[in-house]
Amino acid sequence: MAAVLFFIAGIGAVAGAIGVISARNPFYSVLALVAHLISLAALFLLLRAEFVAAAQVIVYAGAVMVLYVFVVSYVGLRDEPWHTMGAPGGAALRGGAALFGGALAVELMIALLGTGLRAVDSRGAGYVPGFGSPGQIGDLLLTKFLFAFELASFLLLIAAVGAVVLARRRGEGEPEGAPEATSVIEALRLGSMAEAVGAPASTAATRLAELNEPDQGEGRGGGW
Amino acid sequence: MSAPLGTVSYWEPWWIQVIKGIVVFAIGLQLVPVVLLVERKLIGRFQNRYGPNRVGPYGLFQPVADIGKLLFKEQFRPRTSVALLFTLAPMISICTAVAAFAIIPFGNTQDIFGTKVGLYGIDVGIGPLYLFAFGSIAFYGLMLGGWASGSKYSFLGAMRAAAQLISYEVSQALALVGVVITAGSLSLTQIVNAQRGMWYVVPQLVGFLVFMAASFAETNRAPFDLAEADAELVGGYNTEYGGARFASFFFAEYLNVVVVSGIAATVFLGGWLLPFGIHPPGWVDPFVVLGKMALFVSLFIWIRATLPRLRYDQLMAFGWKVLLPLATLNALVTAIVVVAVH
Repeated sequence: MAAVLFFIAGIGAVAGAIGVISARNPFYSVLALVAHLISLAALFLLLRAEFVAAAQVIVYAGAVMVLYVFVVSYVGLRDEPWHTMGAPGGAALRGGAALFGGALAVELMIALLGTGLRAVDSRGAGYVPGFGSPGQIGDLLLTKFLFAFELASFLLLIAAVGAVVLARRRGEGEPEGAPEATSVIEALRLGSMAEAVGAPASTAATRLAELNEPDQGEGRGGGW
Repeated sequence: MSAPLGTVSYWEPWWIQVIKGIVVFAIGLQLVPVVLLVERKLIGRFQNRYGPNRVGPYGLFQPVADIGKLLFKEQFRPRTSVALLFTLAPMISICTAVAAFAIIPFGNTQDIFGTKVGLYGIDVGIGPLYLFAFGSIAFYGLMLGGWASGSKYSFLGAMRAAAQLISYEVSQALALVGVVITAGSLSLTQIVNAQRGMWYVVPQLVGFLVFMAASFAETNRAPFDLAEADAELVGGYNTEYGGARFASFFFAEYLNVVVVSGIAATVFLGGWLLPFGIHPPGWVDPFVVLGKMALFVSLFIWIRATLPRLRYDQLMAFGWKVLLPLATLNALVTAIVVVAVH
């Protein structure tokens, strides 16, 4: 049973990873990445790391990828084909890609043959009850890996503060003079007694014209 | 025996697990028509009218008629839609909703035909995290449905749903942190057992209120139903859906209400426990849980009939500036109190 699940999840993970790089439409790339991440979570489950599996799904599929989907679907490109037949790029680019890919493969092979394969012959690390439970992970995070844990949280804090600062700086350039709908209604006295008794239409028109050009100095009017 | 999800201290034969799967599936899907009918009847009463009363005695068969109608409708889709994703979206929605239903505990471990059976689908060691994991996959059902429809109303509805879900998911999860700290466990059955002295709605009142508010947003219910604001968006992400696919979305939505009610009853109202030291026989437990769930479902309907829909900026401000700080503060204070008491 576990072997069957392993192969389903493994094939899913590999197919998802291939999908990410081969899909031309970014929306499908993102979806393939989601499928890949969920397959990885299934692999974690098979390793009895249920907390890591849940965290994987919640954090990556549930939070990070949601933002990706958000952005990509706003960009549009619905009509872009999902496959990558006749991909762009010159011969130099393709040659370079093959070179880099080959180098990465060789590096992986060296790493695998050097250490990883030795574990295949053995029965693997023993399983103790409670392994991978939230309690144990919390213990490790707050004792053995406390420094790394705090460092990571500090890094995230810096990133959050940085995002706020960047967003605020962009907000400063907004024109301030754009009249609001309520001020136009006020100026025209729409729906008021003044309109009912027949306030001179010319006054209303000039008031509206004034509103449309609130600051002649910067010439940034007409924002409404 | 130890399954990939959670450790069980007793042995359950495989056929018990199969039966459990069927029962969870059957009960989950039977609850939805009941909730549908109760909602229509109650909303009718709130608005000073009768509600459905034509099909069967007192209109009891109205949801059956509704579902039957939807199932026999033709399956169609807009020319601008993406066929595969359009079909996949409702499936994701309903699968994740049913999967989330599996962790609601309906009672303590019982002896049935000489074997020990826990009255729940699975008792996962990660408890609420399981719920949130499926919640985050369920998001893709909404999102794909809205995107693949190729309609601007669907798309806008999906985008609103996405923004709303990620904003309120954080508060919802943080609201449960207080409970988890107090109970000292993530397992839902152990959380219930920890409430023998006092239901957590009392010490965790703030957490309870935040959880309920966030749950209204997470399930797209009024007053947070901006994702399907019918006045501006026709129907939100499911605008282009009809027939059985629409029924799947609809089912999933109401099943999510049921699941959230079940979690709230389990985590804050003591699950199958009764107050004042009453210990009924084991077979009463599921009915106690169902009764408490009905309480929450009625609350959902009552709120829908009472409050008007929020504006979008109000929704975001409420989520980030009120609920999130409250939930964080609640978790912090709970942690300090628990450490101080021990």
